[in-house]
Amino acid sequence: MQFNPCIKHKLIRNSARHFAETELAPIAAEIDQQRIFPRDAINKMKALNYFGLQVPEEYGGAALDSISTAIVVEELSRVCAAVGLCVTVHNGVAVYPFLQFANAAQKETYLPQLASGEVIGAFSLTEANAGSDAGSVEMTAVKSGSDYILNGTKIFVTNGGVCDVALIFALTSLPENKLQSSVFIVESKYPGFLRGELEDLCGMRANPVSSLFFEDCRVPEENLLGKLGDGMKIGLATLDNGRIGVAAQALGIAQGAMEAAIKYAKERQQFKRPIASQQTIQNYIADMATEIMAARLLLYRSCELKDAGAPFGCEASMAKLYCSSVASRVTGLAVQIHGGYGYSKEYDVERYFRDAKVTEIYEGTSEIQRMVIARAMLSQSMM
Amino acid sequence: MKPMLNIVVCIKQVPMVTELPWDERSGTLRRDLAAGMMNPACKHAVEAALQIKENQGASITVMTMGPPAAEEVLREALAMGADRGVLICDRKLAGADTYATSFILASAIRKKCPSFDLILCGAYTSDSETAQVGPQLAEELNLPAAAYAENIDVNSGNIRVRRLVDHFRETLEMELPALVTVSMERYQPRYASFSGLDKAFTRAGISVLNAEKLGISPADLAQQGSRTRVRMVFVRKAQKENVTITGAAARAASEFLDRYERKIGAAIGKSIEAKK
Repeated sequence: MQFNPCIKHKLIRNSARHFAETELAPIAAEIDQQRIFPRDAINKMKALNYFGLQVPEEYGGAALDSISTAIVVEELSRVCAAVGLCVTVHNGVAVYPFLQFANAAQKETYLPQLASGEVIGAFSLTEANAGSDAGSVEMTAVKSGSDYILNGTKIFVTNGGVCDVALIFALTSLPENKLQSSVFIVESKYPGFLRGELEDLCGMRANPVSSLFFEDCRVPEENLLGKLGDGMKIGLATLDNGRIGVAAQALGIAQGAMEAAIKYAKERQQFKRPIASQQTIQNYIADMATEIMAARLLLYRSCELKDAGAPFGCEASMAKLYCSSVASRVTGLAVQIHGGYGYSKEYDVERYFRDAKVTEIYEGTSEIQRMVIARAMLSQSMM
Repeated sequence: MKPMLNIVVCIKQVPMVTELPWDERSGTLRRDLAAGMMNPACKHAVEAALQIKENQGASITVMTMGPPAAEEVLREALAMGADRGVLICDRKLAGADTYATSFILASAIRKKCPSFDLILCGAYTSDSETAQVGPQLAEELNLPAAAYAENIDVNSGNIRVRRLVDHFRETLEMELPALVTVSMERYQPRYASFSGLDKAFTRAGISVLNAEKLGISPADLAQQGSRTRVRMVFVRKAQKENVTITGAAARAASEFLDRYERKIGAAIGKSIEAKK
């Protein structure tokens, strides 16, 4: 494992950081409060390949490795987690399944549009009764001629309010009357594709999270992703990858919160000296920095395994579990260091604090991550 | 078709932070202690070259002298759209002042791009701000030069440069080949795309030159080496002072204005006396 970033990773970090600080920092607080999806900034990002991070060059992407992708999401989230979320969901769980499971025609049709950001993607598994239990999807897709007819409701769809293409998990009949989920590529322009109101959430409020309703929505059969009944397989593989993205996001939030706390601790005077001279505050900062470093190494380790073509699901779960819990702890400490001001919207740490929480919930709760990790550990033969 | 214009852009890596400790003995900044970035004015010069390339076609070589890490700024310029990079890297050349630097850059340009049409430099650097290397390089290469350009137009064999001098603008015209240093009024640098960054590593090449490859001998360095000796480096100290003004609001406001109206006026650029 490389412990020093190569020049390429350094430049990718500088580049994403420069963009985030110039274009996102001035608007991050306002778009959070007003729940505005920052279209102008997003449009600038499209030309810079933020929406085709790992798409091969032949389809117009930047063909970056997974560490680079994590770095980009980390740097966006360090400044504005809602935009980091838009990018990681698009790349990590909407584009990734195309790269892994789409046939040549589907890749030809969708990858160039997705990579350019002309089309924004979403991934829709969650339903009212199917959260951690991804197997209990109730939405249906019934074959009718050369189409499937989709009916049902998806909830908490990240990018839901703006997506042009969504990957929809629905139950399909297999031979011998078996019901199994399959994945469909559904364009928002298909009749019967309806968006719900945007959710009024605790954090990352600039991301248009919404429900999606499907009322007799006809989808051509060539839009089936993978094989009939592949839903669970595609879902689990995609979530493994998505977890790397959420871990990167959590890490970026933690990094941003720590930097804000350090800056404040050096400026804030109490007892006639900066609070950074108090050992308690120094201990907080030492803990934050150590946990962030450990989280970063764990995350990059899972990226490295993924790029080497090795199984990375367990490590991705570890990274997601640890990075998200670090984000919650660090943002909590950052608020604490800010005292009363940290509880006010005047300071960014209040936003970081709200943004961090959901990283312990979506893309598999911390409880589910522990289940995945424990299952992997228990299935290994212990010498 | 017009012959392809050959542009060389000389750039520098500078520390990202403004306050750096320095080496007390040599009087030079401890650049190793900070992350590096492309000097902002140099980035504007790269952008100017890219705009010329977009308008009429050009081949752009970016060149820098520095430690191995200076490769970063070359890669960044390649990611923005430059075509090739040249890194001059040799411990024997370390500590060069502006005079020695321009001598070394001139040798590298003669060696690597003898058929150049235009050399662009940033007008000044954010770390030492001498603004000397560009003009000195023009002297070394015996070229016409213009400093602090805010706009550049290239027309068959000629270059027209607009620059801001004191409170007026002047337009100069020179024959190519020429050297221009670019200020930061215009040519807002573009963001490098990620695919550009990827290609900067997979497609474009950087050649590395040392003193030997440049044909610079120890005798040359003795003759053409640094002439500057730093006698002393110090930090200008500014003392903050807390002033408490007490009394009724009207009187306090009046006293405040009496004390500070000139400073406030200077800061906002107009007199506030009449408003009192």
